[in-house]
Parts: sequence; C-alpha cells; structure tokens
Amino acid sequence: MVYIFDGTMQGFLTAFPRAYTDENALLTSKQAQLPLGEEVCTVTTNPTLAQKISERLTSFDRDAMSDLDTLLRSGMPDNEQIAFRYFHLLATVKRPVGKRLATPEVFAAVTCMKRVGLEIHRLHGFVRFMETASGALYAPITPDNDICDLLLPHFRARLTNYPFVLHDIRRKKAVVYDGKNAFNAYLPHADVVISADEQAWQCLWKEYYQSVNIPSRERLKQMRAELPVRYRTHLPELQIQPIGFSDE
Amino acid sequence: MITEKRLQILTESAKYDVSCSSSGSGRKNAGGIGNGYASGCCHSFTPDGRCVSLLKILLSNDCIYNCKYCPNRLDADVPRASATPDEICQLTIDFYKRNYIEGLFLSSAVCKNPDYTMEQLLLTVKKLRTEYNFHGYVHLKGIPKADPRLMQEAARYADRMSYNIELPSEQSLKLLAPQKSKESLLTPMRTLTEQANAFKEDKRRGQVRGHFLPAGQTTQMIVGASPEADGQILRLTQALYRKHDLRRVYYSSYVPVVQDKLLPTIGAGQLREHRLYQADWLLRFYGFSVEEIVDEGENLSMDYDPKCAWALRNMHLFPVEINRAPLELLLRVPGIGAKNAYKILEARKFATLRFEDLIKMRVALKRAKHFITCNGAFFGAKNEGAIRGLLTAAETQESAEQLNVFGMLSTPQNAWIALSGQL
Repeated sequence: MVYIFDGTMQGFLTAFPRAYTDENALLTSKQAQLPLGEEVCTVTTNPTLAQKISERLTSFDRDAMSDLDTLLRSGMPDNEQIAFRYFHLLATVKRPVGKRLATPEVFAAVTCMKRVGLEIHRLHGFVRFMETASGALYAPITPDNDICDLLLPHFRARLTNYPFVLHDIRRKKAVVYDGKNAFNAYLPHADVVISADEQAWQCLWKEYYQSVNIPSRERLKQMRAELPVRYRTHLPELQIQPIGFSDE
Repeated sequence: MITEKRLQILTESAKYDVSCSSSGSGRKNAGGIGNGYASGCCHSFTPDGRCVSLLKILLSNDCIYNCKYCPNRLDADVPRASATPDEICQLTIDFYKRNYIEGLFLSSAVCKNPDYTMEQLLLTVKKLRTEYNFHGYVHLKGIPKADPRLMQEAARYADRMSYNIELPSEQSLKLLAPQKSKESLLTPMRTLTEQANAFKEDKRRGQVRGHFLPAGQTTQMIVGASPEADGQILRLTQALYRKHDLRRVYYSSYVPVVQDKLLPTIGAGQLREHRLYQADWLLRFYGFSVEEIVDEGENLSMDYDPKCAWALRNMHLFPVEINRAPLELLLRVPGIGAKNAYKILEARKFATLRFEDLIKMRVALKRAKHFITCNGAFFGAKNEGAIRGLLTAAETQESAEQLNVFGMLSTPQNAWIALSGQL
C-alpha cells in the first residue's frame, strides 16, 4: 500500500507504525505518479502518536530523530522510502544500525544523509552575499536539499554584526537574521536594491578570480567535480554581468 | 578601494604559492567579523582545478632579491605595485563579508630590507585583527633574515605562517637564490615550533591567553627547477614533519615563467608533483616511512602510485584477508584509502564481508582486488606479471581523474585520527 503523509517529521512518525507491518509499504509525500493498481492511504498527522514513536525510536538510537530530519530534507526522489527502510531496520533490530554499511538499507540512508551534509559544507563556501542599499546582506541560493535554515548557525557566528537574508528561491523560503534574532520566513519573491559600491566589489572579485588562475594548467573536469555547474548560478565570478543588476 | 590594475599585479605574482588550505584554526569570533573553520572551506574553483579559499595577495612585488626562478626578481622587467595595509584590510573585510573568501594569505616581495618588509606585514595583520576586528583565517608568509622578534609578534596574530624552502638543497639555493640560505629558512621554522610548544604549555597552565599559530606552519618546494631526486625531496619532507612539526609541505611543479640559462626550459610534469603528494600522504596518514617508499637518489615510479609500487615490492605480505587484517595492513592495500579502511573496520563487526559487499559499500577495488581475499576468496590476477600489467593499464585510464592534488580531502581531525603511530 502507498502511504501518503504531509512531508513533516510528525507525519512520517504517524505513518510509520501503520506501514511497519505492511511488506509492500511505500511512504511518500510527493504528488508523483503512483504505481498502477496500488492502494492509497492518506495519513493524517497525529502529534501524540508521533511523539510516542519518536521516543521509541530514540530509545533504540539516540540520533534517530536528527537522522530522520536529515533524511526528510534530502532532495532525492525516494528519500522518504529510504528513511522508512532505514527506520524499519532500526525498529526490527532495536539497536543503532548506522554502521552496518554492508546492509543496503543502511548504505542508502547513509549515502542520502552524506549528500545533505556535503551540500551544507559546499554552500558554506558557495553562498554569495550582496550588499543591499540598507546595508543588509542578501544571498539567493538554490540548493538540492532543503537546508536553508541549517546554514544559519555558520553565518550567524561569523557575521554577527551584519543583518543578512539567505533566500532559497526554489522553495520560496528564507532565513532572516536582523543582527540579533533569526527567524524563518515564507518569501516568494525579493526585490533587492544593491548598494552603491556593490558592483565595484564584484568587479574586483572577478578580477581577482581571473588573475589567480594558471591558464597553462587548465583542468575543467576537476573544476566541475569540485564546483558542479548547478552551483554556479549565483557566483559573480562565473557570470558575465555583475549579479543584482539589470540594464534597463 | 584598491584599483583593479594593482589588484591584478599583486595577485598575479602571488598565485604560484600553492598553499590554499584554511583549515586547522578554531579561532572564535570575538565581537567582530569572522571565525576559523577547523576543516577548512573552499569558496570557489578556478578553471585550473584549484580552489580559491584565501585572498592571496602581495603587499608589494618590488623585490631587492634576485632569485632566478621568480617572476618578481630584481632584474625582471615587470610592472611593480604595492598596497597599503589599510587597502589590504578593507579588501579582506569586504570580500569576507560577501563570503568570497575564508581569509587572507598575505605575502610580500622583499622590499628595501627584510626587517622593513616584515614590519609592514606585521602592521597589516595587527591592524586587521585589532582595528578591523577580523577573526577569520590569516596565513602570513615569513620573510627570511628578518628580526626574530617581528616574527614572534606576527605569530600571535596569524593563524599560520610559512617560510618557503623553494629549493630542496643548499647547492640549488646557492645557485638559484644566492641571497637565501638553508639556515635562513630553517632557523625561523625551528624557532617558531619551539615557541609554539612553549606557548601551548603556558596556555595549559593558564599563564598566557590568545593564540600562537593555531594552524601551525607549512612550507613549499619547487620541483623540477633543480636536479634533486624525489627520494631526496621526500627525505627532507619527512624530516620537516618529524622535527619541525610542519602541518603541510606543498610541492609546486616548476612552471617556466622566467627564462634563464640556469633553469630548465620545460616545466616538470604535473604527474611528478602528483606522485610526490601521494607519497606525502603515505608519510602522514598511512604510517609509511620514506625509506619504504623510495631510495635517496631515486625518483618515484611514474607507472604506479607509490603505495602500489611498495605493494609490488612486498608481494609476500599479500593477499590480506579483509575480515581479519589489522588497520595498519588494510591501510597498506593499494586502492584502499583511510576512509574505506575505517568503513571496512566498522562494517565487519556486524557481518562477514564478501566481495559483493565491498562493491556495495563502494570500496574501490580495481587495484585492491589483487591484494585482498574476501572471506577466503581471491578475485585478482593469478601471477605478479599479470598484476603489474593490469595495474599499469588501470593507472593510465584513471590518471586524468587522479590528478586531484590540490583538493584538501582530509580534514586535520581525520588526519590525526588516520595517523597510525609512525609520525
């Protein structure tokens, strides 16, 4: 049977006990095409039940809930099913399973979690802020996984005195830090007016980027492996026009 | 704001400094801007495959020295420029807050005299730390023959310092960089190591506060500009790791940017540089000593990586059983890296590993399969000749991908864990 939940941790934990005994269970929250002839069951989130299951799973592995959080943030198409298979094993074995890499369920889940972790690390480097006219910093991002709010602690620690906004354009989400407090916000669209010096700094940065390259040692394949093309959209050094400008 | 032209001149000459790492410092943000990122962070990658992590820049490229290999030497006819400490600080802060860079790598040509140059470098870092309240990563190049007190003070502000050896022997230094000597480079390194150790001890007792080179020291050697063999270079490397407690030794294959009758006209291949890095990794993370890797007067094999070459010389130790071999031996199997060795160690606690399991765990087996058994079964080639043939074939196929020498795969934390006793 296909169990459709709302994509939240609570939703997953509500669906989990019902799917646990079902051999052909498929957990998903996505509106994708369902397998032909499968029965569908839409699960209504039950916070009390979710809490109970959460405590039970945590008693088997104290990292269970943070693992589930990571897995549900993943942008992989079958991440919810991967999470289900992983926690199914955990609930059967009743002790931590994260290191049994030779078990396919574990390997799939660990790979999935690693990808999320890797993207967070990559974005710590690949986020590009632009200075707005008000002095706040604004960075548009388009990550594969839903990690916008996980980037906050890193930037908050180093840019303590600078208000900033990290905007996940595709998911229409933003993390806003006002110099003291931070909060998540729904942000479908942002009109950014950049500061007077911004273009000049972007040009200096581009100039720097060009001059540190050693042209006689071109290795584009290596570059692509380290900096995949999908992360280049918001990097000023890899655009012809400075970012944040339109020539009208 | 510094002009584009000057920025170009000052970075153009700094780019041959290979060191890009921003790891090893856990400096906290003390009410200003920036902090350390212990595992290091790459912010961009240039088309040559290298990462951009630090703002690499010279304070000035106006040099009084005449080192033959250097594009900024006294005789060279190149545009000269310099920047003021404030310009450098402003540039660092504005790049940093936009998340372009992880910190500053500040170096300089020797301008007027070594003391003056070092004073200017010190002034810049001091300003950056105190006036601009910057707590991000700072890598500072040491100037040989400058007053040791300046060096000592600079170490309190920088995260990492480096004195570049450049040429791996005294003779080559005499010939190509007559104003430098082995002692002028090694003495400051030794002094800094001693002072760092003393500082650590005082800090533990609560007698001092602050930092003293939290990310340690590194150095760099040019490979192929002078006739030293890999064996000699690696012996120097090992001594630097063991005696001077260096974090990294960088190798830079010689690029002929300068014409001189004493210098070769063709650059050393990048494969040689790559092999040196592989050997360097074996020294630091795999428990090898240089004597096992290569003889003093010899070069590393171009056909096989150094670990493979070692395994082929020691075939009597192989194959090893993947389910029982101790970590030290797993680390010596060609193709199995530190990460995979630990993965195997963990996974085999729960189940006997078969060949299929290793494939599922994505352990690279192209080379390893000739040196391991999985639960008693062997999947490699029958005899040594066949193994050699297959390994060479595998190597040529993979060489393009393997040229990843600038990537910082290991974090210092992993590194210290991976270290198995010998260093």
